[in-house]
Amino acid sequence: MVVLREGMCPGLDENVVRDLRAADIKTVEDLVSSDIEELALKCSLSYKTLFAIRRVLLAQHAAFPVSGADLYEELLSSTAILSTGNPSLDKLLDSGLYTGEITELSGGPGSGKSQVCFGVAVHVSYHLKQSVIYIDTTGGLTASRLLQMLQTETSNTEEQMEALQRIHIFRLFDVFSLLDCLYSLRSGRLQQASVGGGSVKAVIVDSVSAVISPVLGGKQNEGMSLMIQVAGALKTMAKDFNVAVLVTNHVTRSDNGEVRPGLGVSWSHIPRTRVLLERVEGAGSVSCSSFRSATLIKSSRQVLPMALILMPSAVLIPSEEFC
Amino acid sequence: MFPENGGPRKVHLIASILCGNVCICNTGVCVSGKTELLYHFLCRCILPQAAGGLETDVMFVDTDYSLDMLRLVGILDSRLNRDEAALYSCLSRLLVVHCSSTSHLLLTLHFLETSLASRPSLSFLLIDSISAFYWPDRCEGGASIAKQEEKLGKCSDLLGRLLRDYRITVFATCHAIRSCRPSSAAASTESDRPYLCRPWQRLVTHRLLCSQQEVADNMTVAVGQQVFTVHCTSSFSTRTKAYRSNSFYVLDGGVTFI
Repeated sequence: MVVLREGMCPGLDENVVRDLRAADIKTVEDLVSSDIEELALKCSLSYKTLFAIRRVLLAQHAAFPVSGADLYEELLSSTAILSTGNPSLDKLLDSGLYTGEITELSGGPGSGKSQVCFGVAVHVSYHLKQSVIYIDTTGGLTASRLLQMLQTETSNTEEQMEALQRIHIFRLFDVFSLLDCLYSLRSGRLQQASVGGGSVKAVIVDSVSAVISPVLGGKQNEGMSLMIQVAGALKTMAKDFNVAVLVTNHVTRSDNGEVRPGLGVSWSHIPRTRVLLERVEGAGSVSCSSFRSATLIKSSRQVLPMALILMPSAVLIPSEEFC
Repeated sequence: MFPENGGPRKVHLIASILCGNVCICNTGVCVSGKTELLYHFLCRCILPQAAGGLETDVMFVDTDYSLDMLRLVGILDSRLNRDEAALYSCLSRLLVVHCSSTSHLLLTLHFLETSLASRPSLSFLLIDSISAFYWPDRCEGGASIAKQEEKLGKCSDLLGRLLRDYRITVFATCHAIRSCRPSSAAASTESDRPYLCRPWQRLVTHRLLCSQQEVADNMTVAVGQQVFTVHCTSSFSTRTKAYRSNSFYVLDGGVTFI
């Protein structure tokens, strides 16, 4: 909704705005949707002036069509696929995280969501030499864990420090701070974060459900609206700045006992790719308790459901192969 | 959009789509094949006649930031036997706009009205998805239902006019907002119930409902292949209704009907 103000476009002066207000035309939408001929009579304004104003306002405020060929061309030059540093997970995701898309990891407590996120952050900052925005909403991120993971990659302290500097951490604990953070990133902080080495290529939100699920529920719509706003902010950021967005989600059980990602049906349309992480129980020996399975449950690139794969609890030690 | 050898009723739908003045609403939960069906329709529109397409211009209104260009190109590529020049000419028939709110959508549709007049080859409008701003609109409208539905109502009225005056075809997807429980039939109809405003519902002439289907033994599909079903309810001006359903599965080259 855009309120009509004088000087928005040529011809729209103080008197015209006043006359339109008197005819109950207050916003651009009102003006564009109304019958210009009728309106000209009603406000005793010139038809020609109103027609010209309508045309300019439409050109200013409507979305501009882009040819599919141009879009594809642009996509080819800008899309990158970021390896997660984990060959099996990469295979599941069709070679990694795609920039311009939202990828979701869901799983119960201790299923390794955060560890995968740490792994991605470390891999992107150390191997790909690009910056990472890490939004921590659970307080689960510790610098010592990141350092520990980096130490398995290199023993050079300087390289470790450089990699750590490329990971920008935001700690926030409610949905309003998250929106605030995302909007400020969009309006320039993202480029600022790029200073001092590679541009930002990945935005990680661990976890998105921790801040959204408290505002959902009941008969009120505000929570749903906030959730869609977060989704919109993440999607536009992914597209406009060409970053890969990785979010984590909790899980719930459906009526028939099946495990499924949280945040409900409206959220299920948001991520392009969804991976369900689960702890593999009772596989016999003690060492096996650290195995996790990853299942691809939504993807436009792979045939679903993609076979289960197992990984040792340390995704933890990123250099180690899955088994 | 349905298979050519699909019997008289399906031919009827193709014929009516070609005549324009048709509004198709495609509903389904996550992973129900509805996006694939949308791309199938899109490809059918922009592919050259030699490759079995309609060779017309299409406007794709992306309200979800969901257009997966890589997937679309993948489907086109396999239909065109990797002919790059043909691919680019196909893609140039596609126009994409991004909208960020229902007001923005309304302004864009008004803008589209002026482009329709100057571009007669533009006869298809795809909206993915029409339900994208349902929750923000509900919230902004406060306690009044009329206020909540006002903006989408205006969009629907305008779309109705475009359908009538320019004889375009609208194909919109609508995300399910309630989870469906296949176990009880009553609950499943509850989840399928249309929830968007009345003006939009009146506009819809064909309602498609996508869902995932259990694979039966007698089906000729590969092991592990997911099969989807689309149910179509068509209402005609004569107040008659027609129902039918088709099953399909998805390959690299897009939707294949069984």
